[in-house]
Amino acid sequence: MEQTSQESQLGSSNSVTYESPYPIYGMAFSSSERVALGSFIEDYTNRVDILSFNPETLSLSPHPSLSFDHPYPPTKLMFHPTSPDLLATSGDFLRLWELRDSSSSTHPLSLFNNSKTSDFCAPLTSFDWNHLDPNRIATSSIDTTCTIWDLHRSLVETQLIAHDKEVYDIAWGEARVFASVSADGSVRIFDLRDKEHSTIIYESPHPDTPLLRLAWNKQDLRYMATILMDSNKVVILDIRSPTTPVAHLDRHRASVNAIAWAPHASSHISSAADDTQALIWELPTLASPSGIDPICMYSAPSEINQLQWSPTYPDWIAIAFANKMQLLKV
Amino acid sequence: MDGVARAEEQPRSRDLASGWRPRGSAFAPCIPKGPDEQEEQPNSAAAAENPQTLRVVVRKPLVARLTKEIVETYQICNPQFKYSEDLNPKRFLTSPSVGVLNDGYDNVNSDLILTVNFVLNHLEKNKRYIVKDLLGHGTFGQVAKCWDSDTNSFVAVKIIKNQPAYYQQALVEVTILTTLNKKYDPEDKHHIVRIYDYFVYQRHLCICFELLDTNLYELIKMNHFRGLSLGIVQLFSKQILCGLALLKEAGIIHCDLKPENILLCTSPVKPAEIKVIDFGSACMENRTVYSYIQSRYYRSPEVLLGYQYTTAIDMWSFGCIVAELFLGLPLFPGASEFDLLKRMIEILGGQPPDYVLRDAKNTSKFFKCIGSLQHIESSESSKNGRSVYQALTVEEYEARESKKPSIGKEYFNHMNLEEIVTNYPYRKNLPKEDIVKESQIRLALIDFLKGLVEFDPAKRWSPFQASKHPFVTGEPFIHPYSPPPETPHMPVVQNIKVDNHPGGGHWFAAGLSPNVPGKNRASLYSSPHFPMVQHPPANSYGSVGSHGSYNDSVGLGSSYGSYGESSNMFAYYSPIGPSGMNMHNQSSMSMLGNSPDARRRVKYQPGNGLGISPSAGNFAPLPLGLSPSQFTPPSSYSQVSVGSPGHYGPTSPARGTSHGSPLGKSAAVSQFNRRKNWGHSGSPQSQETFSSHWHGQYPDSSSHTEGTSQALGSSPSYLQSNSNPGNWKQRGTGGLSANQNISCLIKPSVNMNSQSTESVHDSAEVGISLPDPGDWDPNYSDELLLQEDGSDESCLTTEFGRSMNLGSTETLAGFGRFNHVSSSNTPIIMQRLNGPSQAFTNVEMGSLPAHDLQSAYVPSNMSKHFHLMPHILQNSPSRFGHQSVQRFSHGRPPQGAEWNQFKIQAPSGFSSVGPRSPRNNSFTTWGRRMNHPVSSMPPTSRTRKDYARID
Repeated sequence: MEQTSQESQLGSSNSVTYESPYPIYGMAFSSSERVALGSFIEDYTNRVDILSFNPETLSLSPHPSLSFDHPYPPTKLMFHPTSPDLLATSGDFLRLWELRDSSSSTHPLSLFNNSKTSDFCAPLTSFDWNHLDPNRIATSSIDTTCTIWDLHRSLVETQLIAHDKEVYDIAWGEARVFASVSADGSVRIFDLRDKEHSTIIYESPHPDTPLLRLAWNKQDLRYMATILMDSNKVVILDIRSPTTPVAHLDRHRASVNAIAWAPHASSHISSAADDTQALIWELPTLASPSGIDPICMYSAPSEINQLQWSPTYPDWIAIAFANKMQLLKV
Repeated sequence: MDGVARAEEQPRSRDLASGWRPRGSAFAPCIPKGPDEQEEQPNSAAAAENPQTLRVVVRKPLVARLTKEIVETYQICNPQFKYSEDLNPKRFLTSPSVGVLNDGYDNVNSDLILTVNFVLNHLEKNKRYIVKDLLGHGTFGQVAKCWDSDTNSFVAVKIIKNQPAYYQQALVEVTILTTLNKKYDPEDKHHIVRIYDYFVYQRHLCICFELLDTNLYELIKMNHFRGLSLGIVQLFSKQILCGLALLKEAGIIHCDLKPENILLCTSPVKPAEIKVIDFGSACMENRTVYSYIQSRYYRSPEVLLGYQYTTAIDMWSFGCIVAELFLGLPLFPGASEFDLLKRMIEILGGQPPDYVLRDAKNTSKFFKCIGSLQHIESSESSKNGRSVYQALTVEEYEARESKKPSIGKEYFNHMNLEEIVTNYPYRKNLPKEDIVKESQIRLALIDFLKGLVEFDPAKRWSPFQASKHPFVTGEPFIHPYSPPPETPHMPVVQNIKVDNHPGGGHWFAAGLSPNVPGKNRASLYSSPHFPMVQHPPANSYGSVGSHGSYNDSVGLGSSYGSYGESSNMFAYYSPIGPSGMNMHNQSSMSMLGNSPDARRRVKYQPGNGLGISPSAGNFAPLPLGLSPSQFTPPSSYSQVSVGSPGHYGPTSPARGTSHGSPLGKSAAVSQFNRRKNWGHSGSPQSQETFSSHWHGQYPDSSSHTEGTSQALGSSPSYLQSNSNPGNWKQRGTGGLSANQNISCLIKPSVNMNSQSTESVHDSAEVGISLPDPGDWDPNYSDELLLQEDGSDESCLTTEFGRSMNLGSTETLAGFGRFNHVSSSNTPIIMQRLNGPSQAFTNVEMGSLPAHDLQSAYVPSNMSKHFHLMPHILQNSPSRFGHQSVQRFSHGRPPQGAEWNQFKIQAPSGFSSVGPRSPRNNSFTTWGRRMNHPVSSMPPTSRTRKDYARID
């Protein structure tokens, strides 16, 4: 709506913009001021840049010495839940990187490869670091599997053929419970204590509509959100009522690209889409028949590809569009 | 402590959380649009739907490029990047999943090894069915839930084991269901499962059905084995009756009716609709070959006793099902046949009528004779109301069989039917007036059940009669129901002139079934020299290639389909294959080895059935069901003795042939009549083949059936000669079975020729397809083959393989007819599941009074359905009234031909197999209580084994 006025606010006290030399997709907040950005370059060599965000000074300062090359565009970046010195990336493989302030350099710690062949690779579409048990990372792959890694021992704890098609995203709920979404159109919950069963809590209306992203509400584990490919809707699920979404957030005007629950509030979720908008929603206890409207919105100059909500600074949401990252105060 | 603390904390943090508000610094508040702005919605909505029109999106969003298109993206990044879906870990649905047979496609059980996303390819139609899950498995094969991308819907695909026996048996199901669907129920109103398609993939016959939901056993189980409410029982009863009425009209006996084979539909638009599934054991009423049929709890007394049976056995099963729906437990949970009979007698307070006991072949297992033989003969005993038979006590049984009979647990302690129903606990807290109402309905139910679980098959109500019962119609029950007379079919038959042409006798002979003593007697008169008692005729005659067409079949003997390519094709695809001028070849091998009565078989040795063709000198090993009449020259009877009893035991006569020296092995007297039909018809061959069908299949056929078959063969005169009105009377319901054929009779003779031609093809195919009994018996190849001749086995397998290959070509042709089936079918509705929560609602409903149904069901998906219950009743009286008319119209030649085809297959197998008939084990599993075919897991607890560990 007030696109121009908002753009004029760039660099104001409410937002900070960082312009990267290349398009950005991957993006991660650490438990400190550190932020990581992953490039999307159509080349083998991609980049992961490390920046520091200072909310007081509203500055974003890059650390070129900590930045590093990455094979292929990373599909996801994530810092260790408590340590800003450990960064994990997914792409062709899961990699763990150590950011050493002392030496001002980043070292590849380990590469997790469960493949039996060297010629072929099943890329990882996403992963999630277990916030309750940071020794565990769960990855999702297009080979239909989910893999739970034991980081200390660099071993596969479990690999499950989780879906009937490619798995596109994965999220931990509890220490031993995770959920995943897939090209098969389903959201499934897995419990490592009972590996023989999974629970389908949602299936997309058309079985072949892939679900691309999944976000589990850490403040209220009953709720999770997912997005369908080429859909302007955010589907809100209540795991207590499987197969029936509790809400469809459908005010975006183009396909939704990213979703993030508020790290500190149980009923707020943000979403970003190809309509260049980032929306913040509050889930009402009772949905009105006319649907749910977002409580606030932000319009970016172009399609927003990524959105993260900082756990360290819950008043800040980061979005990525084109080659820019923007931190927005909410 | 912890929990309390957390409980206290939670609200606080929740308050905090919900108290959070974005301060709207970078974000602009989004004010819900007023009514004016709502008007603008269309624009924005259009934009949302079609973002491309608004902004130029050159490529997919990055999120899609790193998920859905990640391989392409990475290949752009690095042309060397390689990913192969084939390397993905497979989630096996089939167990064991090690491929050891059929080039690694099959596991040790001859099951196709299925993985998720395995594609079943119907090559001819260029259709793909993508396997998504396993719904069930059994000895017949597996049932998979598949995605049909053409129709965007799920279907249930039965993937038959790569073994001839199962293949053949499954073809029976295909043929019967296709006929039922297309001819009798084109509008899908009779609660019979729809068949959509079938094809061969990797040597496995695959049959596509509509996908259905939970079966009634599971429904009862979800209700914790408490009975369903009377309203539901009534609703289901109506629908099942509607299906049974259709079966009766078509002259088909389901033979395995039980709660597991009645499934809820998935359709949201058809409320609480159920459908009858699993026609893998079904047979034509006039071809009741197998004596070991029906699942035990639902087995009718006549089947148990080894008496001839009709569609009335399904009505018995139906009665058992109705009772079980109400009680939540089976009415006759017999742990053994003895126990079963004991329970029937106890609960029903009576026993099978003397005329049944007199002729049933197992009577002596369960009864002792306490009257004089004279009495039996004169039926005096029945006149004075006292039976000359008395059921054995446990001790007597033990003494006779020298083993204790298994006796199951008593659920309803020594109560009769009336007491069981009356004393069944009412739903708790039921208002008094509702109890009064329900007690009235219970009285109607008792009366209803009494007409269904009636020992005397002749007195047992027909589907039509039962559907008029107050319990079904909902009319007040005032006095015991006396059913309207069943639609008379007699006139049709009576019009047929009886011609006692000696040649006609062979029909009877051919059709004689040890299984049907009563009929045999009746038919005796026309084939005087047929030694009926001593040589169970059905088993013992064999007819062989009259035309000497036998080619190279000898070596290949053990398996069907081994007679050269053309015949092979027929063997496999016969049910509908229209083409086939190879009649000579095929017709030449008609081997009648199948004995309808497995038990007797044991004594008489099926092996005796070897047929020799005088003309060719070849004997035809395979086509078991073929009728000797096929090759019988008019009025000349030739006796051929073949087969050595005892040699092959319960195996098939065909086995003898497979050894290549049929004569050597044969010993038993096989009698067959040779008659040349050509005199009567312009196309001799066709006639021959044609008639053969009928015969082979009809070990216990009543005279009229045989007659009709003749009619089809375009020799009307024969018909008449064979038809024996007396039989009809004797049999009561017997008339029904023949309706198809009868209608043919009426055809002007002008049509006969064309008719016969048509039938020729079919019959030819059919003839060939008659399998070796070994093919029928699942255990046959497993055990018997091993015991006997190893070479047989290999021979059989190769043959089968070969014919399969050939067959696929033929499928195309055969498919022509099936095509409309699939196309005409209504779209299948995706299966949605009833959750546990719904299950609970079901529980509730169980105890609800009938009039309460709606509320009972409200929460569940089913609730919708149940609202409409009253509308569901499908069987309109008019239908029945017009039955006979319809029959006539059905009598068109092509149809007759179709019928012929399938008749062939079913009979041949079971009879020889006897107690080890495939259906026995195979179908129990699919319909087995724990593991039912198309049921879906409740969603909430929809835990599934659908992923596998890889580590």
